[in-house]
Amino acid sequence: MDLASSDVRTRPTRNLTAAWAVARKDMRIYYLRPGNLMFGVLFPIFLFFSFAVGRDLPAVILIPGLTAMAMFFGSSSTGAMAIPTERRTKTYERLLVAPISPISILLGQTLGGFIFGAVFAAVPIALGLAWFDMSVANPLVLVLAIAMSSFAFSALGIMFAALPSENPGDVMMLLNFVRLPLLFVSGIFIALDDVGDIGLALAAISPLTYSNDLLKWAVGGTSYFSPAVDVLGIVLFSVIFLALALWLHERARKSDRMVGKRKRAKEAASA
Amino acid sequence: MDAIEAENLTKYFGELLAVDHVNFQVKKGEIFGFLGPNGAGKTTTIRMLTTLARPTEGTARVAGYDVLNEPLRAKQHFGVVPEVSNVYDELSVWNNLMFAGEIYGMSKTERRRRSDELLSLLALADHRDKKARHLSKGLKRKLVLGMALVNSPEILFLDEPSSGLDVTSTRTMRDIIRQFAQRGMTVFLTTHNIEEANLLCDRVAIIVKARIVAIDSPENLKMALDASRSVEIAFKKVPPSLQDWLKASEIVNAVRKEGDKWKVFTSNPSEFLDALVGYVGREKANLLSVNTLGPSLEDVFVSLVMDEGKGGG
Repeated sequence: MDLASSDVRTRPTRNLTAAWAVARKDMRIYYLRPGNLMFGVLFPIFLFFSFAVGRDLPAVILIPGLTAMAMFFGSSSTGAMAIPTERRTKTYERLLVAPISPISILLGQTLGGFIFGAVFAAVPIALGLAWFDMSVANPLVLVLAIAMSSFAFSALGIMFAALPSENPGDVMMLLNFVRLPLLFVSGIFIALDDVGDIGLALAAISPLTYSNDLLKWAVGGTSYFSPAVDVLGIVLFSVIFLALALWLHERARKSDRMVGKRKRAKEAASA
Repeated sequence: MDAIEAENLTKYFGELLAVDHVNFQVKKGEIFGFLGPNGAGKTTTIRMLTTLARPTEGTARVAGYDVLNEPLRAKQHFGVVPEVSNVYDELSVWNNLMFAGEIYGMSKTERRRRSDELLSLLALADHRDKKARHLSKGLKRKLVLGMALVNSPEILFLDEPSSGLDVTSTRTMRDIIRQFAQRGMTVFLTTHNIEEANLLCDRVAIIVKARIVAIDSPENLKMALDASRSVEIAFKKVPPSLQDWLKASEIVNAVRKEGDKWKVFTSNPSEFLDALVGYVGREKANLLSVNTLGPSLEDVFVSLVMDEGKGGG
């Protein structure tokens, strides 16, 4: 209902300022949470090295894959941690009663994950440049790929955080049901040239595919799809994730209220 | 124009009727209490007024704005203190206030000025750089109040403001609410604490089983229950025949033992006092204290809740 208000359309600056405030608050509070560090940083690094060690992969394949994974897990974990935690502490309601639109709140939380993922993407890139003597064919595209991918993955986490739960573990578990299978169909561990038609069809429905492919093009100058297709794929997934996030969060709000009301009604009945 | 208007406000959760066609108006600058037992519909009402819940039927206007059609405009004019102290534990007191101001679109200079003002008003200045997680319950409550007041709202909603606080913190919280009301702020508070409603509110709505059963000033509500006037008596040593004597008296409506005192409900206190003097003389009892009392808001509340219980089955 808030979205229909004319305030949202006539005060975009105010909503953007509010979104930025929400993002900075999330950065201060959630970036160093153990769940974020575990799922966002350590897990993708260990998983990647368990596959890469001993396979003698060139840096132009290894580093884009590691970068894409770091962003995929890092960016999507932030919102998935922050939103259920804020539901539990009731600080999410603080945002809902402020004169800002729901899209600003979600955009702010997406920005929080976006910055987290983008910062951690810099680690494997720096590792590649310093350790593997890697060169970057298209630096501007690399920056664009990191920015776009991180935003799309962050929106994915925000979408899953619509699950009406006050426990971050519930959201993380559901998110991992999706993230882990996507990891194996996105051309990171098995090249898209080798996956066959079914593999390719599965790869096409994963945002990680386009992110990894665009990063490969930015670093090594070669990719499976054309960069335009990769950009389009990432943009499309970002829009879908954000739109679904908005719709699902509105539904989740209603179901949150029902849970609270039933609980109160039960308490009253037993009093 | 009233600060808050609710017209046939109704909320269903599935089959459960949480708020049943509630109507009331809150005048500007008034402290309005929503008093009721747990599960009566107080919090659901406040959630509908603050746009957190969508009414199933009816409308509400806050600061002149329809909460359904103009929620963002309405939100600019009110602050909310929820039942749970929803501060950011990891942020300092100062940063909590600054963040609250930021989401209300205040400039940095304005936020700083207002936060400094609130720190001093709420006696939180010594805790400015302390993380909220290290604050006591009372201090956290003050911080939540500060965050609700950061944008200088015209209307303040408080859901059970003194819930879980000790006596001193409760008193401080009430003093602060009074102070802001005296400056012209409209206050809407929900409470199940009758004493709180009695001490703070200009008018009280009593809500029982989702329906408002009475709205008036605490004094008018008490006067409406004249039959509940009472005499409170205490003896050094209670005469063994006291209960039988009270039971036999035709002018005694009911008797309640409260600690070491007996509260005798009667519609004619002076006649009861005459009879009591006679009884004390006959029994040679040592009377410690006698107080004649009007009906308390608690009596009104209990009476209304019981009436509603009988009516509602």
